[in-house]
Amino acid sequence: PCRAQPKKKKKVDVKKEQAQKERMKKKLKKLEKAAPELIPIEDFITPLKYSESNRVRSLPTLSPEESERRVLLLKKWCLFKQKQDEAEKKAIKALVESQQEALKELRLESEELFQAAIRRDEGLFPFERDGPRYTPPLPGYDPPEGKCTDITKVYTQ
Amino acid sequence: SAAARRPWKLYGAMCLLRLPRITQPLEKEEEEVAALMEQIELEKSHYSDHEIRKLEEEERLKRKRESLYDEDDAHGKAVIMAQDLEEKWEQKFLQFKAAPRITDADKSNDRTSLNRKLDSNLMLLVKQKIGNQELWLLPQVEWQPGETLRSTAERAMATFLGDHIQAKVLGNAPYGIYKYKFPKAIRIENNVGAKVFFFKAFLQSSDLSQAELKADYLWVTKKELGDYLKLEYLKKVNRFLLD
Repeated sequence: PCRAQPKKKKKVDVKKEQAQKERMKKKLKKLEKAAPELIPIEDFITPLKYSESNRVRSLPTLSPEESERRVLLLKKWCLFKQKQDEAEKKAIKALVESQQEALKELRLESEELFQAAIRRDEGLFPFERDGPRYTPPLPGYDPPEGKCTDITKVYTQ
Repeated sequence: SAAARRPWKLYGAMCLLRLPRITQPLEKEEEEVAALMEQIELEKSHYSDHEIRKLEEEERLKRKRESLYDEDDAHGKAVIMAQDLEEKWEQKFLQFKAAPRITDADKSNDRTSLNRKLDSNLMLLVKQKIGNQELWLLPQVEWQPGETLRSTAERAMATFLGDHIQAKVLGNAPYGIYKYKFPKAIRIENNVGAKVFFFKAFLQSSDLSQAELKADYLWVTKKELGDYLKLEYLKKVNRFLLD
C-alpha cells in the first residue's frame, strides 16, 4: 500500500534535476557565446600622471638657422642611405652572378656533382649568431650579482 | 655517370671567415644624424620622474638659501639628493674599464693572430705548393671521386687546421670558380688545366690554440688580400666577398 508513493517521488525528483541541469547548461552556453573581454595592451595606455602640465619641457624655440641646418642634414642623409643601399644591391648581385657562373662550370664538369651542389642544406637554418658589440669581451670579468623579479601583469580571458 | 673526357682537374677550396666581434665605427653623416635624432627626441619628450625630483630639489635649495630660517632642517638631515645619485653613478661608470677596441695584435700588425681587426671579416690564407711555385692561396685540396665538392672543401679546412675546427659551411653550392690552364710544358691531352671551386664558411670556435697548423698561414681582411694573391685569382675571389 505504501509502495507507490516513494516511487513517484523518485521519478519527479529525477525529472526536476534533469530540467535544472538543462537550464544551467543553457545559461552556460549563453555566457560562452558573448564575446570575450579584450586584454588591454599596457604599452598603448599612457598613465595619467605623465600628462600633467608640469611635465612639459621648457626649451628655447628653434632658430631659423638651426631648422635650416636640420633640413639640409636630413637631405644629405637621404642621399647617403641611397648610395649605401645601391652598393649593397650591387654586392649581392655580384655574389649571385659569381655563384651562377660556378654552378654553370660545375654542370659542364659532372652532372652528379652539380645535383649534389644544388641540394638544399638542411643544417643551415635556423642560423644563430651572437651579434657584434661595441667592445670585445673582457677576459676575467666578474659581472655584479643581482636578482631580476618579473612584475609583468598576466591577463586571462 | 658517363665518364666523359675530363680534361680539367677539380679542386675544392674553403674561404673561412672570422666574423667581426665589434661594431664598425660610424661614418661622419651617421654620427651627425644620430646626434640630431637624440636632440629631437629630447625636445619632444616630457620630464621623467628623476628629472622632476631634481627640479624640485633645486627649488627647495634655492628657497632655503633665500629664506633666512631653515624650515627643512628640522626633519631628516641625511636626504639623498638626485644630484648626488647622478654623481655616484658617474663615478661607478668611470671605474669600469672596458676591453680596448684596438688590440695589441692591431698595433704590432701580427697577421697570424685572430685578434686583429675585430670590426671586419678575416679570412684564412695558406702557403701552398702549386707546380713548382709556393703561392698564398685559400686552402684547397684536389677532389677525390666519391665525395661532393663541399666535403672536398671541408677536407681542405681539416688538412690545414686540424679536425676540431667548428665552422658553419654556407650551403652545398660553390660561391665562385677560378679556372686556369697549366703552362704548356706540363699540359697533356686530358689534363688541360684546373678548376678551383670556392666555398664559404663562418668560423664558430673563437680560439684556435688546439689547431695544429701545418703550413704558413695568415688571417687577412679583404683589403689586404691584394698583398698576397695573384691578380686573376684575386679578381675571382673578390666577387664573392662582401666587405
